[in-house]
Amino acid sequence: MSADRPDLGWNGLQLLTLCVYIFMFAPIIVVVLLAFNSARTGSFPMEGFSFVWFGKLFENASIMDAFQTSLVLAVTSSFLATAIGVMAAIALIRYSFKGKAVINNLLSLPLLMPEVVLGVALLMFLKFLEQPRSYMLLLLGHTILSLPYVVLVVQARLVGMRQHYEEAAMSLGANRLQTFFAVTLPLMAPAVLGGFLFAATLSFDNITATLFWKKPGIETVPTKIFAMLRTSISPEINALGAVMIVITVALPLVGGFVVRRFAKGK
Amino acid sequence: MKFGDSKKYERLLEAYESGDIDRRSLLRIIGAAAAVVGVAGGPLGKLTKSAMAAAQSIRFDGWGGIVSEAFHNNAFPPYTEKTGVKVVEGEFGDTDEFLSLVKASQPGEYNVFLVSGVYDYFRFCQAGFASQINESNIPNLKNVLEPTLVAFRNESEGKLSAVPFDYGVTGLAYNRKYISDDEAKSKGVKLLWDEKYKGKMAGYDSFQTRPWMAALYLGQDPQDPSDIKAIWDACRKQRELVVKYWSSGQEFIDLFAKEEIVLSDGWSGRVASLQNSGQDIGFLSTVGFAWLEGLYVLKGSPMEEAEQLLNFCIEPKVAIAIAEGQFYPTSLDPTKVPMPDSVKKLPGYDDTGKFEGYVWEKAKFWYDHQDEFKKEWSRISKGG
Amino acid sequence: MVRAEYRPYFLLSPALISLALLLLAPVLFIFVYSFWLRAANGQDIPAFQFGNWITVGGDPFYWLALRETFKISAITTVICMLVGYPTAYFLARCRFNNKALLLFLLFLPFWISYIIRTFAWINVLGKSGFVNSVLLGIGIIDKPLSLLYNDFSVIMGLVYFQLPYMIINVYVSLDGIDRNLESAARTLGCTAWQTFREVTLPLSLPGLGAGSLLCFVLAAGSFVTPRLLGGTDTLFFSQLIYEAIISQLDWPTGSVLSLMLLLSLGIIVAVYNRFMSLSDIYRSFAK
Repeated sequence: MSADRPDLGWNGLQLLTLCVYIFMFAPIIVVVLLAFNSARTGSFPMEGFSFVWFGKLFENASIMDAFQTSLVLAVTSSFLATAIGVMAAIALIRYSFKGKAVINNLLSLPLLMPEVVLGVALLMFLKFLEQPRSYMLLLLGHTILSLPYVVLVVQARLVGMRQHYEEAAMSLGANRLQTFFAVTLPLMAPAVLGGFLFAATLSFDNITATLFWKKPGIETVPTKIFAMLRTSISPEINALGAVMIVITVALPLVGGFVVRRFAKGK
Repeated sequence: MKFGDSKKYERLLEAYESGDIDRRSLLRIIGAAAAVVGVAGGPLGKLTKSAMAAAQSIRFDGWGGIVSEAFHNNAFPPYTEKTGVKVVEGEFGDTDEFLSLVKASQPGEYNVFLVSGVYDYFRFCQAGFASQINESNIPNLKNVLEPTLVAFRNESEGKLSAVPFDYGVTGLAYNRKYISDDEAKSKGVKLLWDEKYKGKMAGYDSFQTRPWMAALYLGQDPQDPSDIKAIWDACRKQRELVVKYWSSGQEFIDLFAKEEIVLSDGWSGRVASLQNSGQDIGFLSTVGFAWLEGLYVLKGSPMEEAEQLLNFCIEPKVAIAIAEGQFYPTSLDPTKVPMPDSVKKLPGYDDTGKFEGYVWEKAKFWYDHQDEFKKEWSRISKGG
Repeated sequence: MVRAEYRPYFLLSPALISLALLLLAPVLFIFVYSFWLRAANGQDIPAFQFGNWITVGGDPFYWLALRETFKISAITTVICMLVGYPTAYFLARCRFNNKALLLFLLFLPFWISYIIRTFAWINVLGKSGFVNSVLLGIGIIDKPLSLLYNDFSVIMGLVYFQLPYMIINVYVSLDGIDRNLESAARTLGCTAWQTFREVTLPLSLPGLGAGSLLCFVLAAGSFVTPRLLGGTDTLFFSQLIYEAIISQLDWPTGSVLSLMLLLSLGIIVAVYNRFMSLSDIYRSFAK
């Protein structure tokens, strides 16, 4: 194939792709660099190397509170979204039925809905039902936000799964429920886990809708950073950014590594 | 904080005063009682944390950045050491946001906060958050400047819900690298409409400060405007020159420190902070207005603890240390409490304690116009 | 046990019920609310009158805001197309052994908090940010450029956020093209460019279309990016909604504004759906 490629064009493509990767990573590198800048203004050129901003960060109890809120919210909402989403995905993949196309489109609706509008609508609706802004609103909101992603991700993983094992189990006398828990679920585990992680990430990262839904005084990590952008000095936020980058990048990498080792061991 | 059985509370206090139980146990018992009476929380235990902790700790909210740092470093550690009451600190970027937080909270969740200006003092009282401070519990009140006490008393029917703590000035801040003192002095507020600094100036995102500056520019009285339409038009015109409207003191500092701007209206304390960190920022205090800051105790707070905290904060040594940290002069009377040079040279400082020549905001005018002005300014700020 | 033909509906019911309660009902509710009368004390009065719609619809300010929002979103989308397509083409056609790793790297920043990635641009584009200090350092410029707090920085932030979406969509559709078709075209005498124009490009259009729609809709609904990176000239519709609802507590107006944004985006999605299938959008999530 390479002879087909006009070399100049191909080199150009290569260069462009390289630039795109630099573009994607440059801001992140800048944040990490500036987190170690000793100056108060957090700007270039850097003045000196220091860990002082990390120290300040860990003294800040409200960030730790926000972290806890975010974590609980991410786990509970993605648990709900995964449970609901996996059932829907199974229906859409395993069965053919009337109205499937419509339902498929319907389930993907929140994907194309501006978050601001969803935020406003759910806030006003629950207020109308006399439900004050509370943890419940956040939980339900995050669930509906991540549901379409879970349905899509799980669906995609399920497509490739064959039904032979289930049929075998059934023919060996297992009933439907037994089959589901003994055969289907273990086979589906990666898909379910994938959907769960996706939902958890979305929830952990969500800011726009959360700004509408959160009870005053309760902060998730993103809304806390949003508030800090106005009241804190930037090196502190850079340090928080650096810590978040380490957590969000290193954890999945380590997790993936462990899973792969585990899979190989089998 | 409301207790199920106030008799029991009184008995506890008696026991404490007669020395039968120590302070920590008293607070622990009160805290437990508060937890029982307090709101049953959501699925997250932390939602009730603030209610439970009420009497063992007291919540203090202030402007973030250097202001919070100054209190954190100078007032709270010795207070906690002496009384055993922990200070839970919060930050806010603007008072609007804080008011909506307080409105949505349970009484007692928020206790003491730094109120900026008599307008803010007035509207917190109007919103029903006025507490009545027992002045005899704050012996240090005798050192506070009389005019500042009067200013607060006038807005709350003679009662006192806040103790005056410091004062500041909104004026014109400029980077001396690009704008000389002479130029600033000769042009005054007109600088903010100077095409030469297009794209290099900022302004406070406030329905108060913006029309105020415009009124001065047009030669009108900001608090008795003759032609409000012209004022808003001037705001529209200035918007063309502004690169960013900042909404917190920290943003203001960042914009100057990173040289995103060379000119903005701003607060004296934040300017002093910039100067102190080596930035060559000039400040023209004759343009703008002065405001009084106080430590406001919200209704429903544990009053005795709050009063003790307030007394602690206006202890001359503490107040001066905070003034040096946050760069706003204290509202202690300089004729009674000798001020060090570090305070005397703060921008906006008045050595006579009489505040002659200072223009103060009129709470009622801003309160009456707040809805109208807020809506209009919100629109203009976006180019409408 | 549920009968076989009802089983899919049974499995779907939790999803459909949550959708109905948490999405459709709330949207219907704000539709109803948009006819209510605003009361100063916050207790709005149920009514059926068009006052809110007329006030908003008759105010050129809101139309200007909508136009501005769509303009910035369109520019963002076009940039994503122009940059994203060639990149996706390279990724799909290069002979790098570990393409999964390349794609993974592209999405790595996605795992980093959106708000941190957005505010990172302040450090990059500011007057004393990375770009300016590099340019000043090597002497290309002698005064820092104004890159921050304007439309440029907003577009930059939006492109940064949406480019991977575009790339993955195009990549998936390029990857799905039967390479024999391209070989056949070459055998029949097409030049490389002709092959690309006549075969590859048309076959990858669904991916490009899906990516573009996603980019546009996400950009038009964005709130945090324009707020952090925008300046006084930035006028984004979602900011008006936020202020109406949260700051001014004017819920009837907020409802009208929300519906205005939703309807205009709905029209765009409908037009798109008329020519291309929505299902292309979802395909990329399979990756």
